[in-house]
Parts: sequence; structure tokens; C-alpha cells
Amino acid sequence: MNHIDRREFIKLSLAAGSLLALESSGLAIKSFGNRETPQKVLILGLDGIDHRLLQAWMKEGKLPSFQKLASQGGFLPLRTSIPPQSPVAWSNFITGMNPGGHGIFDFVHRDPERYFPVFSASETTEAKKTVRIGNLILPLSGGEVINMRKGKAFWQILEDYDIPATVFKIPANYPPVATKQRTISGMGTPDILGSYGIFNYYTTETKELKADIGGGRIHEVSVIANKVEAKLPGPVNTFKSDRPESEIDIKVFIDPINPVAKISLQNQEFILKEGEWSSWKRIDFRMIPTQSVSGICMFYLKQVRPNFKLYISPVNIDPGRAALPISTPKGYAEELEKIFGPFFTKGLPADTKALDNEVLNDGEFLEQDDLVLRERLEMFDYELARFSSGLLFYYVSSTDQRQHMFWRLIDKEHPSYDPALAKKYGNTIENIYKETDKILAKATEKADKDTVLIVMSDHGFSPFRRSFNLNTWLKENGYHTLINPFKQGREDLFMNTNWSRTKAYSFGLNSLYINQKGREAEGIVKRGTEKEALVREIAQELENFRDPKTGERPVLRAYIAKDVYQGPYVDIAPDIIVGYNHGYRTSWAAPLGRIPKEIIEDNKEKWSGDHCMDPEVVPGILLTNRKIEAESPALYDLTPTILKIFGVEIPKEIRGKPIF
Amino acid sequence: MNAWMGMILISFLTAILMLFIFRFTSNQEGIRQVKNKIKAHLLELRLYKDSLSLSFKAQGNILRYNLKYISYSAKPLLVMIIPLILILTQLNLWFGYESLTPGQETILKVKIEENQNLLDTNLVLQPSTGFEIQTPPLRIEEEMEINWCLQAKEKGVHDLTLIVEGQRITKKVAVDQKPLSKISPLKVRRNFINELINPGESPLPRDLPIKTIEVNYPAKDIKLFGWNIPWILGIPPWLIVYFVLSIILGFVFKGMSKVEI
Repeated sequence: MNHIDRREFIKLSLAAGSLLALESSGLAIKSFGNRETPQKVLILGLDGIDHRLLQAWMKEGKLPSFQKLASQGGFLPLRTSIPPQSPVAWSNFITGMNPGGHGIFDFVHRDPERYFPVFSASETTEAKKTVRIGNLILPLSGGEVINMRKGKAFWQILEDYDIPATVFKIPANYPPVATKQRTISGMGTPDILGSYGIFNYYTTETKELKADIGGGRIHEVSVIANKVEAKLPGPVNTFKSDRPESEIDIKVFIDPINPVAKISLQNQEFILKEGEWSSWKRIDFRMIPTQSVSGICMFYLKQVRPNFKLYISPVNIDPGRAALPISTPKGYAEELEKIFGPFFTKGLPADTKALDNEVLNDGEFLEQDDLVLRERLEMFDYELARFSSGLLFYYVSSTDQRQHMFWRLIDKEHPSYDPALAKKYGNTIENIYKETDKILAKATEKADKDTVLIVMSDHGFSPFRRSFNLNTWLKENGYHTLINPFKQGREDLFMNTNWSRTKAYSFGLNSLYINQKGREAEGIVKRGTEKEALVREIAQELENFRDPKTGERPVLRAYIAKDVYQGPYVDIAPDIIVGYNHGYRTSWAAPLGRIPKEIIEDNKEKWSGDHCMDPEVVPGILLTNRKIEAESPALYDLTPTILKIFGVEIPKEIRGKPIF
Repeated sequence: MNAWMGMILISFLTAILMLFIFRFTSNQEGIRQVKNKIKAHLLELRLYKDSLSLSFKAQGNILRYNLKYISYSAKPLLVMIIPLILILTQLNLWFGYESLTPGQETILKVKIEENQNLLDTNLVLQPSTGFEIQTPPLRIEEEMEINWCLQAKEKGVHDLTLIVEGQRITKKVAVDQKPLSKISPLKVRRNFINELINPGESPLPRDLPIKTIEVNYPAKDIKLFGWNIPWILGIPPWLIVYFVLSIILGFVFKGMSKVEI
């Protein structure tokens, strides 16, 4: 053993200390490519910006930056994915392939063994090795979160050539794929419960207590001596064998007269006025004495009296102490948190479910989404200021979420159209387009002659007036059989389906599957000619079907997977991808295996604009400061375009072609 | 001066003071002898480890002399407690809290006498240029408290004025101060013990129905090479650092000052 004297020991200790200091300041970590590139690429990903709306408002002179960019280079509709769902569309953009190549076909896939829905984008597994001591279960290895998207992301290819890239909140990248580039995950990132976002709402108004609301939990509380005591539920405690839900005690003190309350939880307290949002609050769900899960949430004191109403946002992953992987390198999220404080990490940040369930009203929802937008704009300024080489991709979600929720107020034919609300909030969508115009103005100012500026959206938008119950249509046309017809509409997840007499079923938003023998647990349709004939028959009948109320065809086109997809994952694709017509979309019941009685119903929800239709109905947008040579560019054409700009060899798996 | 420099200086002075007190209040010769005895019996324990009876005897002696050592240390420790409490209460003001930053919100809490009717208490918080009153008063009967949410506006040490039963009282609010600044979160009613433990501000008059006035300041972080020293079993980071540094410096200088500890 080497002898180390006291002086050497002190020197080594100091060196180790310095390394610690450097690591904590982030200076010792090589986080991304270092090459100075002669060309730079700046991409604005504006989710859901619609070609028709953009064109109309550009013509009216409301979007000067878009107009300027279109006149410099080009402006074309951008062909979206089949189906035009965000995870699929962004995966096309990320990989340059179609779903046959990247394996993401829908928001929801299904497990054919159990006829059960599964998230398409990521899979979480618990620790495989554990040791049990009484009621305690101690993991000996870590659990895993796997990004299910296949294929190499374009920033991973750039990394191979040492070209730096910062990719901010791109959807369909949770958990972020392994890279040294700066990336932070966007849509698809769960809340701390592992869901797409569960809010909590505490009220004394019993009529608001609904047994089943998606995306939220409503708690009945009582005000006793001007005090409310409640619990905020957290993640399931997997350290205990009975897996109880973790929770945090909340106390709310209300003034006897003034509309104001103090909220006290863990070691913090804050006062809110009625109608006021709190800042981010950091909370810790204690699992065992040495382990806790850290999250952040916002409080909104909706009403003090006559009824007490308190909304708590879904608990987001704390970017400063992320319990799940949300960025690469890990320190990138921490760096942003240090500069900007806690920020929204949940994939779809604004709480559309709270608006849909009337927990938040239109104004309150917009206040929340304004917080999201303001936060994003601050971070955009920061990233734009330090962008000097390689690629910067920046993503905006508010465009998508506001169009989903406020389309009803620009569409007089929509069943949820309300003239009074339209007067107040009818310009919400136009306003968010104007906000993106301001973002573009900043990007244009930054883009020098060596910067290729690309503005794109993954899809456009269309009204969602009528809901198509695809499983009901299958049942009415003899392709789906129920065990007990009297129970129709009451059971989820095909609990009332007689699989031995069912030929087809639908899970997800655009996916239709044949109950194939050998693939599905109780499949009855043989692979080969029998299945192919059935697929073509169903596709044809779907396209021929007409809405008895309007006379229109709800399904514009039913795509057969093997005709439209290429790549190694075509075999696991849905058999038919249903492309809905303008104004139509799959119902809320069908994606999770419920079979209502009516084939088509009015959509009376606030979620009133959509894009899960036929790709031709909802093209995205493409604007650049270079002349576009492609006649009809598609999302997956942008990937090889980026690689070509940097002079990088385009991998043969990429299906797209450069646009200039 | 940054927090670390200040902490090292205070710890150094504390170590010197404690060594000084220890030297002049303890039986130095007695301690020296006791320590030698313990060492001798430890040696005995090692040499005669094969003899059970001698080992037991040595252990008994070690225990006996340890107790004697503790008894010799008790007197200086008792003498040291008083200056230590005074030092700690001061240190808490300098190292316990961060001043507010402009724009930051805090809660002002006024604790009222139990025999008062909270709703009838004649108490008015006056506006100031240094901070903005964000909420109307929030009266919490369970805690006998009136709370306001304040937002810091301007740099400075501002006087927050309350009119209670027609009498003006003030409480200091520190905004955007240097890292090493005196921050007093609590103003207490005139009382010897209260004032000893909370020496940051002049006390409240006894004739008013107010027991305390408190401003919530964020706890001060103390970083070591970028790493935040955590709270341990409810002990704040500054106290951990202070004790560790004082002990280390005490041992470093005990040889020079020829103090037997």
C-alpha cells in the first residue's frame, strides 16, 4: 500500500474539494457538443398552429413577423403524421421516420394479451430485486423508465458529429433519450403520480362532488371554526407492502369576514386572497424516514364563502430535485431551476381537465396558461441569448392547449358555442397566435445570415363537433359482440365484450385492431387472407358511413397500416388508422374501451378543437428564411433537412427528404 | 464580509473564550491526572487482556476516572453556558435568516393576548414605501393571531408601523441586505427571559394586548463547495457549522494555550 503523508493528504483533499465545487457549479461537466458550426439552425416548434388560421390572420396583417418570414423564404402547409396525434407527429419529426420506423402509433397502445390500454410513449418498471422486512419493502436495484420511441433522435446524430444542440421541451421525449446534448422533456412527462396530471379540488359544495372525473380528484371538506383540514394525496408508497397512498396534511385558516385564507403545510405557510394563485410550493412526500419524493404544485383559492373552494394543481416533478429523469444532462433541469425557480415540468402544463370539469373557469384556466407562457418566454430569452452554434429547438404548448379548449368560442356551429363567452374569450386563439408572432420576432432578430430559421407545427386544428363511437359502430355492424346487451354503455375496458364472437375493436384515438388469432388472447380472425379481407371490408364500410344528422361522412379515410407504414414495427401497428373528417373525432368513451348506445353524439365538452382526424384535414405549418424546394413537405422531411444543413450524412433508415 | 468568514472569526473567538474559561474555572491539574489515569488503565487493559479479573478491574477504573473527568468538566461547562447562550442568540440573528428580496412575499404575524376578542382588537397596519400590504388582515382565533401578507418593495431596513389601541409600535423588516446582516424575525413583550433570547429589537410595551410581532424570513443556507449544508434533527446549518468549527479550533489552539481539556 502506498504511503501518503499528511501534506499529500491535504493536497488530495483540497483537489477533491475543488472538483466537488466545480461539479456543483456545472463547469466540470461536458454537457454537449463543442464544435463551432458555420451554419446554425433555430427551430420554433409551435404545437398545433393551423395553416388556415395562420394564413387568414397573416392576410389581415395581424401577424407581421410570420408575414416577414414567409416573404423571405417560404410558407407551406406541412404534412403531418398518420394519425396526426402529437406523440406520433413529433416522433416523425424527431426520427425522420413514420410510425412503422419509430413504433409510436397513438397516445394509447393496447396489450393484446389483456385487451388493456397502455401508454405508448413510456413504460415504468419497479425495482426487480427487493428485500422485505416486516411491512417494509426495500429495493436492491432501481426501477426503470423507458422511452418507447425507437430510432435515433436527430440531436443524437448531431452529437456523433460533435455539433451542439439544445432541445427544449420537445414532445415524445420522456424520459429523454441518452445524450450529452441539453434536452428537457416536454409532452409525455408525467406528474409525480406517474399520470398525465391529477389535480385536487377541495370544496364544501356537495353538488360538485362527482364520483368519476378524469384528471382530478374532488374532496369534500368542512369548515369548522374557520379552519379546513384536508390531505393532499401523493404517490403510492412502494416501500410498504400494502402500498398505501402517501399524503400530506393541509390546514387552511379562513378569516371570519375577509375573503382571505392562510394555507399551512409541512414547514411552510402562505396567504392567498380569493381568486389568487400561489407561487410554486415545494412539497415532500415522505415514504420511509430516509426516502421522500419531492414535487411542486400551485394553489388557487377559488372561493372562501359561501362555499370554500381550493384547487391544487397536479404535483409536478421538482426540476431542482427530479424524482424521475426529465433532462439531459441531469443538471440541465437544475440549472434552469436555479435561474428561474421551480417551473412546470408536466408534459401538458395547463390543466385542461380542470376546465373541462368546471373546477376552473375560462378566465382561471387562462390565468394558469399565462403563467406557463410567461415562464416559457423567460426561458426562451435565456436560451436564445446563449445560442451561438449548432441547433436550438424551442417548443410552445399554449398554442395547442388553447385551441383545444377555446375552439368552441370561434365556431358558431359547435354544440358548446356560447355567445356571451365568445364575446369575452372569442379572441383567445387569435391572441395566442399573436403571442407566437412576438416570439418569432425575437427569433428573427437573433437569426443572422448563417442561421436557418424554421417555424413549424406538428399538425393543425379542426372543430370537434361530433363524437364518433367507433366501438359502437363496430357493434352495430356486426364486428363486435357484447356479453350482455342490456349493460351496453356501462362498462369500461371491454368488460362486457364477448371476445369469442368479436372480430374488431378500437383502443386509442385513431386505432382499430382486428381480434387476430394468435396475437390477441382470444383472437378469432385468422392471419392472412381472412384478416386482409376483413380489414379492407371494415375500412370501406367506415368510409361509406354517413352521419344521420348531418349527412356527412365522419370518416374521411380509413388507412390500412401496411399500406401507409414502413419499417420494422409495422407488425405491431393498429390494423386500421381512422382518419376522421372535419368536425368529427373519436368519442371520449371509445379510446378506453367503452361502448355507448349512440354511434354519433354531439361533443358538448369544452375540449372543442382537435387534430386527431385525417392528416389532410389538419396540416401543420412550415415557414423558413430559406426557399423551400419541396412541393409538399412532411414532418419527417425536416429531420434530414437539419442533418443536411450541418453536412451530416443522412442515415438510410430516415424516410424523409431534405426540403432545400 | 461573507458568512463563512464571519463564522470562522466568531468560532475562533468562541474557541479562545471557551479555552480561557476552561483554563481558569477548571481543576487543570486534576484533569491532567485523571486523563493520565485513564490512559494508564487503558494500557493495563491492553497488557493484561488475558486476565479476566484485571481487565474488569481496569474497565471499572476507566469508568470511575471518566466520571471524575466529567465532574471536573462540569464547573467550566456550567460557567460557559451563560456566555454561550448570549452568543447563540446573537449568532441566530446574523446567521439564521436571509433578508427578503424585493418582490418576495412574507407573512407578518401579530400574536394577541388570549383574553382579547380577536375581531374587536383595534389594530391597524400602516402602509410603507418599503413593502406593500397584499391582503386584508387574516384573523386566526385558534392561534390568537392576526396575519398579513406583505410584499417587499425596496432595499433597506424598514419600520413597519402598527397602531394598537391608539399607540404606535414598530417592527423592523430587512430587505435586500448584505449576506452578513443582522435580521430580527421576532419582537417580544418586555420580559427578562424574552429579551435575553430575542435581543434583536427593543421590546414591546407590557400594557398592550400584543405578545409578539413576527416576520417570516427565509432560513439562511450555508453552502460548502456549492453544497447546501442540511438541517440535521432540527438543528440549523449555521449551528452545526458553528459547533464543528469551534470544536476544531478549540483543539487546534489548546496546545498553544496549554489548556488541558
